[in-house]
Amino acid sequence: MSTQHIVSAFDRDLEGAQAMVLKMAGLVENAMSQAAQAFETNDLELAHKVRGNDKVIDRLDEDIKTNCARILATRSPNASDLRTVLAVMSISSNLERCGDYAKNIAKRTTVLAETRQIDGVPAALRHMQSAVASMLQDVLDAFIKRDVDLAENVRARDYEVDEMYNTLFRSLLTHMMEDTHNITACMHLHFISKNIERMGDHTTSIAEQVIYLVTGEMPDDDRQKSDLISQSKPDELSRT
Amino acid sequence: MDDLRAINNDVESNATKISAKNVQVYYGDTHAIKDVNVEIKEHTVTAFIGPSGCGKSTFLRSINRMNDTIDICRVEGDIRIDGQDIYDRNIDPVQLRARVGMVFQKPNPFPKSIYDNIAYGPKIHGLAKTKADMDEIVEKSLRRGAIWNEVKDRLHAPGTGLSGGQQQRLCIARAIATEPDVLLMDEPCSALDPIATSQVEELIDQLRESYTVVIVTHSMQQAARVSQKTAFFHLGSLVEYGTTDDIFTNPKDSRTESYISGRIG
Repeated sequence: MSTQHIVSAFDRDLEGAQAMVLKMAGLVENAMSQAAQAFETNDLELAHKVRGNDKVIDRLDEDIKTNCARILATRSPNASDLRTVLAVMSISSNLERCGDYAKNIAKRTTVLAETRQIDGVPAALRHMQSAVASMLQDVLDAFIKRDVDLAENVRARDYEVDEMYNTLFRSLLTHMMEDTHNITACMHLHFISKNIERMGDHTTSIAEQVIYLVTGEMPDDDRQKSDLISQSKPDELSRT
Repeated sequence: MDDLRAINNDVESNATKISAKNVQVYYGDTHAIKDVNVEIKEHTVTAFIGPSGCGKSTFLRSINRMNDTIDICRVEGDIRIDGQDIYDRNIDPVQLRARVGMVFQKPNPFPKSIYDNIAYGPKIHGLAKTKADMDEIVEKSLRRGAIWNEVKDRLHAPGTGLSGGQQQRLCIARAIATEPDVLLMDEPCSALDPIATSQVEELIDQLRESYTVVIVTHSMQQAARVSQKTAFFHLGSLVEYGTTDDIFTNPKDSRTESYISGRIG
């Protein structure tokens, strides 16, 4: 719906809410890449900064919710306007969680600086992180352009992230079994990989919101999933 | 938390009460209703929405032949209630209007007592044999109109002395006193304050159990709140008809979307 409302303040309200969520998305993208950078380069100062910046993301999330509640109360939006407000609220929650995961990665980076290195894992994590970062970038693009195909594409790509997580999980398990001194580092690395995997899930959820926003219907839950870890017994997992 | 109505807004009945096929209404040369086809379900509140002059009231009035009273008005096509053609030669419009009650925008009680306002319809249709019968009809109607408790001690006071909201509920009670099947409401709350509006809306929801209700409203939120089905009229045509949930969250026609979201379209 590109035509304007008769009450122009309504247009400004809706545009404002969407601008806020995009601003928040920018901050989350930043937090994600900075957390990844801090982890890779062992930059504790940057990690500290990421942790501090999460407050700004949280506050924006609160502001967006307050703003959306005001729009619902005062404008009683219908149809695509209603879907816009609902999607913005939901996307804001997803982004807020992604911010928390970036903060958690930064926290663990500080701890990992004092543990031993685990070969190969940082490269795998980098690979995973860049896959999720590009998903997030595309989903925001899909949101701005109301592009269902691109949102569907992002949704499908979550499978790859899940696969990377499964592989990494097995590899961390092997490291832990080989040498128990690796356990502390591996546990933290596992949580980092799980955080990135969860960011992928939230990005997928944003993609679903974009589809709902445009079509009025949530996509069917028939997407390919690779959730082997949570269904497997311990002895199955160690068979790599 | 026994009341899950807010999320359970489905249409419970699939039986068609009112069926309109290829309905055209003309005022002289003006083609006011253009080829409207609609099936209105039994025990359902159906809302007609649309901008002023779109024909929603005209169509509503053709359901109980109120348009007959306008000389230059001509209705073509087929309107059936329970399968019976209401424009059939053998149908007495007065009897039809006893079955298809109507409530108007402005409360219009007769300048008589509260009791006589209710008793008038049943009296002319011969529905009560004795005074006791009539007392029962009056009490039952006022109870169904959700106004009994407010007026039971002053049944012989003038109906015009009630507040606006009470007058409107009195008019609804009057409309249901003749045991109609269908209740037509033409903007029943537009002259009422928000509290009286809520009371009438609550009443409409209760009436759905016994009657088929069709309501014309300019308040989009009211249509969303009280109805299960919504029909959007524009320039004399029925543009979109569907469940209220669909119309208000995901309308199919861009004209519906423009109208309900307050856009210049």
